[in-house]
Amino acid sequence: MALFAPVPETLSTQGFRMAKIGVFVCHCGENIASKVDTGNLVKALSDHPGVEICNEYKYFCSDPGQETVKRAIRENNLTGVVVAACSPRMHETTFRKACAEAGLNPYMLELANIREQCSWVHSDKDQATEKAIEITRSLVEKVKRNNELKPISVPVTRRALVIGGGIAGIQAALDIAGAGREVILVEREPSIGGHMSQLSETFPTLDCSQCILTPRMVEAIQHPNITVLTYSEVEEVDGYIGNFKVKVRKKARYVDMSKCTGCGDCIQKCPVKKIPSEFECGLGNRTAIYTPFAQAVPNVPVIDKNRCTYFKNGKCKICQKTCQIENCIDFEMQDTFEEFEIGAIVVATGFQIQDTSVYGEYGYGKYKDVITGLHFERLASASGPTAGKILRPSDGKEPETVVFIQCAGSRDPSKGVKYCSKICCMYTAKHAMLFAHKHHDGNSKIFYMDIRAAGKGYDEFTRRAIEEDEAEYLRGRVSKVFEENGKLIVRGVDTLLGKPVEVAADMVVLATAIVPQPDAKEFAKKIGIGYDEYGFYNEAHLKLRPVETATAGIYLCGACQSPKDIPDSVAQASATAAKVLGLFSREQLEREPVVAAVGEATCAGCWGCVSACPYNAIEQKEIRDRNGNLVKEVASVNPGLCQGCGTCVTFCRSNSIDLAGFTEKQIFAEVMAL
Amino acid sequence: MGIQEQYRSEAAALLSSGEVKLVIGFGAGSTADRRRPLFARTPEEAQKFVLDAACIANLSTYLLAEGLLSDGKKVGVFLKPDGIRSVNILISEAQLKPEQVVILGYAIENGKDVAALEGRNISDFSIGEKIRNLTPPPHVIEAAEKIEAMSAEERFEYWKEEFSKCIKCYACRQVCPMCYCRRCIVDVNQPQWVSTSSHTLGNFEWNLVRAFHLAGRCASCGACDRACPVNIPLRLVNYRMGKEVRSAFDYVAGENSDQKPVLASFKQDDPETFIL
Repeated sequence: MALFAPVPETLSTQGFRMAKIGVFVCHCGENIASKVDTGNLVKALSDHPGVEICNEYKYFCSDPGQETVKRAIRENNLTGVVVAACSPRMHETTFRKACAEAGLNPYMLELANIREQCSWVHSDKDQATEKAIEITRSLVEKVKRNNELKPISVPVTRRALVIGGGIAGIQAALDIAGAGREVILVEREPSIGGHMSQLSETFPTLDCSQCILTPRMVEAIQHPNITVLTYSEVEEVDGYIGNFKVKVRKKARYVDMSKCTGCGDCIQKCPVKKIPSEFECGLGNRTAIYTPFAQAVPNVPVIDKNRCTYFKNGKCKICQKTCQIENCIDFEMQDTFEEFEIGAIVVATGFQIQDTSVYGEYGYGKYKDVITGLHFERLASASGPTAGKILRPSDGKEPETVVFIQCAGSRDPSKGVKYCSKICCMYTAKHAMLFAHKHHDGNSKIFYMDIRAAGKGYDEFTRRAIEEDEAEYLRGRVSKVFEENGKLIVRGVDTLLGKPVEVAADMVVLATAIVPQPDAKEFAKKIGIGYDEYGFYNEAHLKLRPVETATAGIYLCGACQSPKDIPDSVAQASATAAKVLGLFSREQLEREPVVAAVGEATCAGCWGCVSACPYNAIEQKEIRDRNGNLVKEVASVNPGLCQGCGTCVTFCRSNSIDLAGFTEKQIFAEVMAL
Repeated sequence: MGIQEQYRSEAAALLSSGEVKLVIGFGAGSTADRRRPLFARTPEEAQKFVLDAACIANLSTYLLAEGLLSDGKKVGVFLKPDGIRSVNILISEAQLKPEQVVILGYAIENGKDVAALEGRNISDFSIGEKIRNLTPPPHVIEAAEKIEAMSAEERFEYWKEEFSKCIKCYACRQVCPMCYCRRCIVDVNQPQWVSTSSHTLGNFEWNLVRAFHLAGRCASCGACDRACPVNIPLRLVNYRMGKEVRSAFDYVAGENSDQKPVLASFKQDDPETFIL
């Protein structure tokens, strides 16, 4: 699909002609007209040299508005068009299409932004009008010097990379693969599944997390279009939309994936048994050779090199002796690298929970029975260390009273994070419910700031916790948790009663904040996407382009973008799949021809631009005479890679690089017209 | 044997062995305290070399003469530490090949004594303390501090006054080893970014463009300062830019020849979030 309708050759304005510019002043309803005297603007521009026709209209972006522009182009044989309206980000494409349909090269259009950069930010009508005239005039001077450009075609590699094998990544991979496209799914842990595999039941339906997740995990690994690379990390990303080159490090597992049957004998015999399990949040132990959990996909163990006796002392190898298959366990295994050609990347790297040790007053880390929500998930999970019984980590006894503290980190600019972690209100209600179901005499008290239960079936769910499962909600913050006579005394305030309260609890559960992965920022820099102050990845537009990043061809889903629950993560994952499949629906991709070019005659070959280019789009090129002798080496821009950012142009001291669509002559004319 | 004789015979030996095709050094000047460049192609010519405390020019600029190094042969050159820094920068900017430059290094100590510097290849000098800690003479620092102490308005007036003397002769550009562009931006007239007239705007445009083009690249040799026929203290501008670059990026131009251009390279740990 072409960006614009092809321009008939006979109507082409290529070659020198006197400038005949059409200027179209849009009122944008009241948006512009209330602050800019459009009549004066039209009058001023009508007299400007080279302006053939100047009109005003209420909405030029409307159908009749565009018709006016098209008719003016045809009737007056215009060589260029300036629409004085909103930001090019809003309607540049609209008017470029209109130009193309009327037979004018779409790059002979300029948008003079007299809305965002003028009417919206000024209150004095006279001054705003004067500024609007100057802005429009300078764009007329620019458009006189515009060149006809043709879009650049680049091939699309129709293979997707999904980074992160949690529920978001799995869903995106399945959707893309289901449409017949190849997917490489990279997960850095030994198994796919992500945080969802650690959860007990899921709100608001209370279905078992593993029961709904594991079928998807199995589907992913068995899918003929999906290559699952676990225990692997993305090392390098080069290239651009449709044509990424991705290098993946496959960490040494020390177990041969192709030979292992997953019998688990090695795990049984491993003598190092007391390693706190990451999957169990330290509530259970694992061995040095291990799979993180029973339903791991793939069900192939890895050896934790830092904990393994053989790697530490050079002696042991009991797992190898136990293994029935020859050469399946290989202590000499090294990390390997594989490179992939990729057309689109889905980032689904997930989240971590905030370290709660900043809340010394809550006693986390000091008292064993002060735990996080994720700990509680493991306690409540049938596959967990207590086989689903809620037991205190300190003495293994069943707690009678459990206090839940919501917003233990979230919505707390002083110690935690400013934002709402979104899922805690719901999982805390769920925890209270699960506790009530498993321990009929127990009671749970929940300290909260607000109950945020927006979502299908969510409010009903929290009401059920309160009304049927008798969770007691206390509106207020907790100031301190301390131990007294074997009880955890929770001191807080009930702001609805206006009284301080003290609860003697057997266990305290903190609803900790969701934070980005610790290496989120580093990783963003590695693959070239933006992130916010916390390290959550930035979408291109919060409302209108929520799953795209500012880097074309890279998409986002799941909690790496912002805290999200499972339904949202899955919905967003499917949205990224739709975007990827849209991109993959054609073999060629048309790109804006706004790219840099080097003037070879004056290039001094200092390679400053090579180093400055953020897209590695500049190469060295040899200039030879007719006898093949090297005359000199100059810089050369690869138009397929160039994103038209202009960094090289500003860096070049000899002024030897120019950017199509924003040439020095155009910019200079624009500036001088002000 | 004095240092002058020692270097004369070394230059002669380089030429007679055929290792280098040319040695660039100093010869007698028009007055007793001035030296002019001398280009020796034979061992006999090398006997005319002079080396004393008056040899202050940065001869690295002559290495860039069009076609001089295109035959791949080596050239010897007398260089002080600032000149060695220039060579390092030129190598890092791909204007020189390190194997083509044979350095006859010397230093002027206390403004009067000439001392030999060990080494002949640029790599021998790369990490020398003398290169890293090269500071301009005290009077330059003193003058710079005086300007730094001024208010913004006073400073603007000061430079307006100084730049008003500029006659756009471009001697600063011609003498500077870093001004190697075949076409300078000031010579671009389609469009004419830098106006060539000697009015306030034109004077600022030229001198500030040059200052920015030298930020993180100036070897602090002071050649521009000495070349200026109307005595604009150009060196102070470049000294100040160098100081900025050093404090912001811990970067000293010409410290070694593997440096990346400071204003065109990115690091993973750069604090700005817009760096992708």
